Amino acid sequence: MIVTRPQHDVITKYLSVWAEEVINFAKEKGIEVFDLIKEKANKKDFCGRVKKLQPDMIFLNGHGDDDCVTGHDDQEIVKAGDNHNILYGAITYALSCNSGKILGQKVTENKMTTYIGYEDKFIFVSDRNYMRCPIDDPKARPFMEASNQVMISLLKGNKAKDASERSKSKFRDNYIRLLSSSADQDSLQAAQCLWWNMRNQVCLGDLDAELKV
Amino acid sequence: MAGYKNTKKILSDENVRKLVMARLSVLSKDTMISLGSEGSYTREQLMESVKNGDRVGEKLAEIQLEWLRSFKEKVAV
Repeated sequence: MIVTRPQHDVITKYLSVWAEEVINFAKEKGIEVFDLIKEKANKKDFCGRVKKLQPDMIFLNGHGDDDCVTGHDDQEIVKAGDNHNILYGAITYALSCNSGKILGQKVTENKMTTYIGYEDKFIFVSDRNYMRCPIDDPKARPFMEASNQVMISLLKGNKAKDASERSKSKFRDNYIRLLSSSADQDSLQAAQCLWWNMRNQVCLGDLDAELKV
Repeated sequence: MAGYKNTKKILSDENVRKLVMARLSVLSKDTMISLGSEGSYTREQLMESVKNGDRVGEKLAEIQLEWLRSFKEKVAV
């Protein structure tokens, strides 16, 4: 498995830190993880690693747009019409904004390829008192847990469509919990954002793909 | 969903602007909302965006309206 984890702003720091949960789980399962963190999350290193290792799974964290996902300092790592074919044959989960809209569609023109991502903004709520320790941020947890469920489920051997459904189910559970909570003044806004992410997550291409271990 | 995505300037509707502002005004002062490459925003910054009708404000309005609309469509959950 190859993971990209840029860390150049608050958002990428949160994604990166929470991705450690997935990395640790993969290692516990005996799966080799190539972790392209910070400056290593760049196009050259990413493409080089993918070509050499031909991983079954790719976990992209970072900013994105309709047609691309970026790495450290917002440099493009994968872009539709440029190097999208680097993802052919793999199951990719892109925790980034919008890339399910064009990049995901383009990549999955190859029928052996799976792309799970978001068709619009991935939005999350956080507490600025936890910026130095995002893993302890209780406001971010419902978002990151639900997102990580895609990878955890794939690593458990589930099919791509089931991994996406389990993630959506986690978003839904957290959404309902927050919607019915009166303990936190932020809960309704957070619930709406969870609903938004759940609604915009897409699983494209080979829906029956699973990790071959 | 596509209907709202293609509609520009949702916040030009004063009632919508008031609705979104009212929701944001109850957020705690330490809460941040992150909207991908747009960045992370505090309550005050979000309210300013809504007031100015910029992209962040428009996105928040879009989420709010689509969420409300989903109840009518019975697809919220």
